[in-house]
Amino acid sequence: MATYLEFIQQNEERDGVRFSWNVWPSSRLEATRMVVPLACLLTPLKERLDLPPVQYEPVLCSRPTCKAVLNPLCQVDYRAKLWACNFCFQRNQFPPAYAGISEVNQPAELMPQFSTIEYIVQRGPQTPLVFLYVVDTCLEEEDLQALKESLQMSLSLLPADALVGLITFGRMIQVHELSCEGISKSYVFRGTKDLTAKQIQDMLGLSKPAVPIQQGRPLQTPEQPVISSRFLQPVHKVDMNLTDLLGELQRDPWPVTQGKRPLRSTGVALSIAVGLLEGTFPNTGARIMLFTGGPPTQGPGMVVGDELKTPIRSWHDIEKDNARFMKKAAKHYETLANRAAANGHCIDIYACALDQTGLLEMKCCANLTGGHMVMGDSFNTSLFKQTFQRVFNKGFNGEFRMAFGACLDVKTSRELKIAGAIGPCISLNAKGPCVSESELGIGGTSQWKICSLDPSTTLAIYFEVVNQHNAPIPQGGRGAVQFVTQYQHSSTQKRIRVTTIARNWADAQTQLQHIEAAFDQEAAAVLMARLGVYRAESEEGPDVLRWLDRQLIRLCQKFGQYNKDDPNSFRLSESFSLYPQFMFHLRRSPFLQVFNNSPDESSYYRHHFARQDLTQSLIMIQPILYAYSFHGPPEPVLLDSSSILPDRILLMDTFFQIVIYLGETIAQWQKAGYQEMPEYENFKHLLQAPLDDAQEILQTRFPMPRYIHTEHGGSQARFLLSKVNPSQTHNNLYAWGQESGAPILTDDVSLQVFMDHLKKLAVSSAA
Amino acid sequence: MAELYVKPGNQERGWNDPPQFSYGLQAQAGGPRRPPLTRRAPPPPSGAPPEAPPDPTSAPAASAAASLPRALGPPPLGPISPPRAEGGRPSAAAGPEECSVPPDTVLAPLREALATCRPTVQKQVCDDIARRLTVLEDAWAQGKLSAPVRKRMSLLVQELQQQHWDAADEIHRSLMVDHVNEVSQWLVGVKRLIAESRSLPAADGDTDGGAEAEPGQEEP
Repeated sequence: MATYLEFIQQNEERDGVRFSWNVWPSSRLEATRMVVPLACLLTPLKERLDLPPVQYEPVLCSRPTCKAVLNPLCQVDYRAKLWACNFCFQRNQFPPAYAGISEVNQPAELMPQFSTIEYIVQRGPQTPLVFLYVVDTCLEEEDLQALKESLQMSLSLLPADALVGLITFGRMIQVHELSCEGISKSYVFRGTKDLTAKQIQDMLGLSKPAVPIQQGRPLQTPEQPVISSRFLQPVHKVDMNLTDLLGELQRDPWPVTQGKRPLRSTGVALSIAVGLLEGTFPNTGARIMLFTGGPPTQGPGMVVGDELKTPIRSWHDIEKDNARFMKKAAKHYETLANRAAANGHCIDIYACALDQTGLLEMKCCANLTGGHMVMGDSFNTSLFKQTFQRVFNKGFNGEFRMAFGACLDVKTSRELKIAGAIGPCISLNAKGPCVSESELGIGGTSQWKICSLDPSTTLAIYFEVVNQHNAPIPQGGRGAVQFVTQYQHSSTQKRIRVTTIARNWADAQTQLQHIEAAFDQEAAAVLMARLGVYRAESEEGPDVLRWLDRQLIRLCQKFGQYNKDDPNSFRLSESFSLYPQFMFHLRRSPFLQVFNNSPDESSYYRHHFARQDLTQSLIMIQPILYAYSFHGPPEPVLLDSSSILPDRILLMDTFFQIVIYLGETIAQWQKAGYQEMPEYENFKHLLQAPLDDAQEILQTRFPMPRYIHTEHGGSQARFLLSKVNPSQTHNNLYAWGQESGAPILTDDVSLQVFMDHLKKLAVSSAA
Repeated sequence: MAELYVKPGNQERGWNDPPQFSYGLQAQAGGPRRPPLTRRAPPPPSGAPPEAPPDPTSAPAASAAASLPRALGPPPLGPISPPRAEGGRPSAAAGPEECSVPPDTVLAPLREALATCRPTVQKQVCDDIARRLTVLEDAWAQGKLSAPVRKRMSLLVQELQQQHWDAADEIHRSLMVDHVNEVSQWLVGVKRLIAESRSLPAADGDTDGGAEAEPGQEEP
C-alpha cells in the first residue's frame, strides 16, 4: 500500500498532478461504473526547486491536429533521427539542431526525469507587467488612510519596470493621468452611464486619431507607448508623484445624507478599467486591482439602492426571487470579466466592509480571470494589509509568484477524451479530436485560458474513457495525457511548461483490485467536491447534496465488501476508507451549506475552493485538528467532539480560520496563572506550542486567515464546535456510559449515523 | 538586518484579526520550514463507534486533579517538554531600542549621493528627492521617527555608501512594509535615490555585492 502512496506523492511533487485513479479502467462502460470520474488535479506552475528551465523551443509533432510536444514517452529512432508521437503515432523528423543526438546524448525532454520540463522561448516583444489600481473613495477616514498607505507601500513591492495606473471612484470616476510633472490631471466620468470600450477609449484619447475605423473593433497594434503613457507609467518613474497623489486622495466629496448609502459607481469604474487596458495592452499580463469598501449603489452593476432602510439581498431574498438587482448586476460583471479574460487581464477584488459588498454579483471578475478575491472587515486590519503584501510575494528564487496570460492545452491518447475543467479559467473553445461530447465543468474544449496564476493555482481536469467495451486493452498498455501551459513569467519572459504522464490500463472485469488499489481517495474527494461546488453555483443546494449522496452510495456499492442486506458485513478497503468521511464533512461545509453565511461569504469560500491545491482543498473540506497536552508531543486527533478534552489545547485549521481552543482545565490553570511560576515552565511551554504552530501557518497562508483564540465555554468556541463531528450530543450523551469529550447541542447527524445509513443503503438489494 | 517581530492584529476594526508579521519574518517564510501540520488522525476502525481516546485525565500527576473539574489541582510538574520551535519566535515588538544616531550621519550621505546624481539626473527629479530629504530631516528633528526607523535608516545609508544597492533597497522595502505610516512621504525619495545612484556609470568597477538580498541570483 505504501508504494502507491509514495507513487502518488512522487507524481505530485514532480508533475503537480494527482489523478483520482492511477490505474485506468480500459472501457467506457467500466469507467462509468467506477462512479468517480477519471480526472486529475493539475497545478500547472507547481514550484520546482530542481527544475531549471531550458532555453530553447519545444519540438512539436508535425500533425496539425496534434502538435504534441516531444516527451520521454515518445519512441525515438536515433539512427534515422525520427521520433514517433505517443499521442497520434505520427513519425516526425527531428529538427536540424538535434542532429547530434544518440542514446547517450539525449536532450533533456527525452529523459524520464523530465516528464515535466519548462522552456523559455523568444516570442514577440516583452512587455512590462501592468497594475491598475481602482480605488473606492467612499470609505471612512481611517479606512481610506490605511488603504492609501498600503497602496503607497505596494509601489515598493512592484517590479521596478512595471506599469502602474490609478482610477478612483465614488459617485464619479476619475482616471488619473500620471506624469512626472507637478500638475495632476484626471478625466472624470459619470457613474450612472455605461460606456462601450470604444467610447471609453475615445474619451480617454486612446484611439488613434484620424484612422478610419473598420467594422467591429479596430485593430490594435500591440504597443502604443505614447498614448498609454499618460495613464500607465513605469513605477520607477512616477513613484514619487504617485505617492503624493495617493497621499492626497480625499474621501468622496459628495454629501451623503442620513439614512443613505454613499453613491458608489463600482460598475462603471471597472468598465473603464477594463476598457483602458483593452485599448492599450491587450494580451499582456495585467492586473486590475479593485479596492472597495461597500456595495455598488448606482449605475450599471449596482447591487443595492442607496436607501439604507433596504438591506442588501440575503439568501432568503434570492430564494424568494426578491433580489431586484442581482441578475442584471451579475450579468454586467460577467461581461466585464469575459472581456478582461479575452485580453488576458485579471481582476482582483479586495472588499473590506462589515456588511456585504456585492461579491456574489462581482465574483465572475475574479473567478473567470484568475484574480484574487479578498474579504475583510476593514482596510485597517492586518488581514487585509498582509494579504495584499503577499500578492507581491517572491518565491525561493527571488521571482514573483505571479504569472499571467496562461493557455493550458491538454492532449490525450486516443482512448481518452477531455470532458472539462473547473478552476479559475475560461474556455478557449478549441474543438478537436480530444474533446468529449459530454461535459463536466467548463467543457467542449481542450484549451483554457488562465489570466493569472501562481505556483499553487490548481485546476481540476475531467476525462472520459472512450475505448469500447470488450475491445482489447489499448496498445502499449498505457494511456497518456500531456499538459502544455504557455504563460508569461513575472520576469515577462514567455515560458512553456510541459508535463506528460502515463498510467496503466486495466480490465475492470478481471483486474478490478488493481484499479481499486490505485484509487487516490484524497484527489477523488477534492475532484468530486469541485464538481459539487460547481453545480451548487447553478443549482439548488438540496439537489447537489442528493447528487453527492447518490454518488457515494454507488461508490460503496461498487467497491465495498458486503453480504446483501447485511449492513454489519460492510467493509471498505484501505484505499477507500477515508472517502466517506470526506464526503460527510463536505456536506456540512460552507461550500455546499449556505445556512449562516451571507451570499457574499458563500461566493468567497467557493472562490478559494475552486483554485487551491489538493492539500489546502482537503483542509477546507475537513479541517485539521491537532491536540497539545502533557501526555506527549502534539498529535493530530479526530475532528470529533470526543477530541475536546479538558486537559488539552486544540489547534484547528479550516483554511479560512485558525482556532486555538483551551480545554476547561487548561483554561483554569491559565487563569490561575501557573504559567507565570518558574516551576510550571512546562505549562508555559504547553500554552506556547500551539501559538508557534499557528504562526507557522499564518506566515504563509494566502489569504490571511482569521485568528481565533478561545477556550472552553467561550462564545467563539462555536467555530470549533460547528466543525467537529457531533459524536456526542445532548441526545446521546449518556449512551456512551462515560463523560468524555464535549457534547454538541445539535440535531445534525453524526458521522456514525451517516455511516450507518450509508452502509444500509449500500448493501440494500432494493437500491 | 531586518526586524523580526509579530504584533497583534487590529481587533478594534477587524473581527479576529490575525497577528501581523514584520517584513523580515515574512521574507523568511520562504526558507526552510518545519513539516506542515497537515496530518490527520487515522479514522476509527470501520464499524466501531468513534471512541474517546483512553481517558488521559487521570494519568499523569499523582492527584486526580484534572478529572475533578471543580477541585482544580496544579498542572503536572513533569519534565519540560521542549517547544516545537527551537527557541520560539519573538512574539511581540521588541522593546524600544535605544538609538542615538544623529540625523546628520544619515542625511549628509544621502545629500552627498544626491549631489553625485545631479549632473546626470533630471533636475526636477533631483529637486523632488531633495524636498523629501527635507521632510525626512524635519520629521527626524521633530522626533517623529521611531527608534527602529532611525536605526534602519542608518543601516540603509551604510549600505548605500558601500554601493550595496540590493541590500539598501531591501532595507527600504522592509521600512516601507513595517513602518509605512511613518515613512511613506519621504522614503520614496530615498528609494529613487538608490535607483538613480545604482544606474550611474560605476565609478570604481563592480562593487555591487548586495549580500543578503537576492538568495538565488545565478540563473541555472
